[in-house]
Amino acid sequence: MEASQALTNPTPNPNPNPNPNPNNNYASNRNSILSSTPVWPTIDGPLGLSEDESLSYARRFYKFGYALLPWLWAVNCFYFWPVLRHSRSFPSLRPYVVGSAVGFTVFSAILCSWALTFAIGGEHLFGSIWDQLVMYNVADRLGLTGWS
Amino acid sequence: MAQNQRPKTLLDSLGEEIIRILVPVSICMFLVVLLVSILDSNSSASVTSIAAMAYSETSSDSSWDKFLGALLNSLAFVAVVTVVTFILVLLFYLRCTKFLKIYMAFSSFVVLGFMGGEIALFLIENFSVPIDCITFLVLLFNFAVVGVLAVFMSKMAILVTQGYLILIGMLVAYWFTLLPEWTTWVLLVAMALYDLAAVLLPVGPLRLLVELAMSRDEDIPALVYEARPVIHHDSGLGDNTVQRRVWRARSNFRQDSEDNSNLNGNVVSDSNSTVGTVQSSHNGTRIARVEEEQVSERDAELSAPLIDHGRNAQDGMSAERLMLEGMGLGSSGAIKLGLGDFIFYSVLVGRAAMYDFMTVYACYLAIVAGLGITLMLLAFYQKALPALPVSIALGVLFYFLTRFLLDVFIVQCSLNLVMF
Repeated sequence: MEASQALTNPTPNPNPNPNPNPNNNYASNRNSILSSTPVWPTIDGPLGLSEDESLSYARRFYKFGYALLPWLWAVNCFYFWPVLRHSRSFPSLRPYVVGSAVGFTVFSAILCSWALTFAIGGEHLFGSIWDQLVMYNVADRLGLTGWS
Repeated sequence: MAQNQRPKTLLDSLGEEIIRILVPVSICMFLVVLLVSILDSNSSASVTSIAAMAYSETSSDSSWDKFLGALLNSLAFVAVVTVVTFILVLLFYLRCTKFLKIYMAFSSFVVLGFMGGEIALFLIENFSVPIDCITFLVLLFNFAVVGVLAVFMSKMAILVTQGYLILIGMLVAYWFTLLPEWTTWVLLVAMALYDLAAVLLPVGPLRLLVELAMSRDEDIPALVYEARPVIHHDSGLGDNTVQRRVWRARSNFRQDSEDNSNLNGNVVSDSNSTVGTVQSSHNGTRIARVEEEQVSERDAELSAPLIDHGRNAQDGMSAERLMLEGMGLGSSGAIKLGLGDFIFYSVLVGRAAMYDFMTVYACYLAIVAGLGITLMLLAFYQKALPALPVSIALGVLFYFLTRFLLDVFIVQCSLNLVMF
């Protein structure tokens, strides 16, 4: 039956599925005899950017992430995942993507530790200022949930 | 397994594409139902908004008054949407695309930032999450800025863009469910009729917009969800061949002119430039694409049995039109659905969730059936079609049938221990 046939040859014909990384596997399989360098630097494979364009995007995302945007760094790492995964590929892109990964880890470590201290410490640690900082009180005070 | 590739069946090719548009619609509906059932807003928290400006419903009015009030509200809303769409057509005609893009980036920032923040606040208050305002602000800022970047400003991972589009649809749809009940239902029917008129009538604003965009070979700035194109790797033609289906004859598709707060974004241009990128950068890649007036480089390996007859006729075929609030085909062959469709489907299901889950199931099945019918019509007519009317009609019909007939039956059966 056709449907099962399509399922039984994954390698030369990866099923077009919502898996975000079908083309990377395909490229890796194809190049497995050589190095395992992927052809496409982005996670979208041939649907994504070419290597030349990726440089400007990676650089731009890295720089914008300094504006208190760790999530942008994380998205940058996700987008250029093949660059991170294969350590010898795309040498021009690599510093930016690795920088984004490092930045995201550091920032989220700081943010998580602060948020957890706040949540777990609670009133014992902070005293009355906890009530002033916690979000639902702030929302009540400013009437944020009253509009619309 | 054998290297020679048998042509894919209808199940593989068409089924895959339909699934790729059904899954995000279902996810959006599911999220809205989840929000509605968690947040459980009482009817006194009614929304003073542009959609309810003519009449605000109180529970003490008679049915006829409520119906009239709802009708007034919906007519006012449809009028506002028509005016705004005509303004959009005018701006597009005057080539103010920069202004449009900035406006849409701003409006999606408002949606993601303010509406998203407010819903997050509702959830925080509901669950008493001990988050402090600094962390909350940082997270919200990140979320909104990356969302605007992903949807409008730059290319990003397809998953991220699609995810943010679904979130925008979910936020706007949840906001719409806060409207009074009668207004919501009449508004849905009114929007379905408006969609039908605006897309199919020759004087309709959406049709004008599409024709303008096609005559200039530009993209309409619009919020459009584009499903990931199905890529078939034919091993016989070499590794780098990316073949796409031919029944997307056009390189320009546009979508969704929406209500006033949510206009347009250039996902379409992203897909166009994606295709262009793939074409230019990779030697062995051949992409089948049929353009409007001329025959582009085509290699099409047609695998769509529905459009089999059109394989060679597509070359000179006049372009397929894509509809805002409708569906059409992207330049890479993927199906595109306007964000307004996501929103109104989710509003219907969200409103059904406010009654009972039985209506949710019935309306979900009705909407999916309507979407399937619209897709079939799209394949058949090869032009842009409004995606709202069929689904909304079936959804509303099934809601009222379930609520007034099935519900009574099931409840009585359960009470009398006949059937659970």
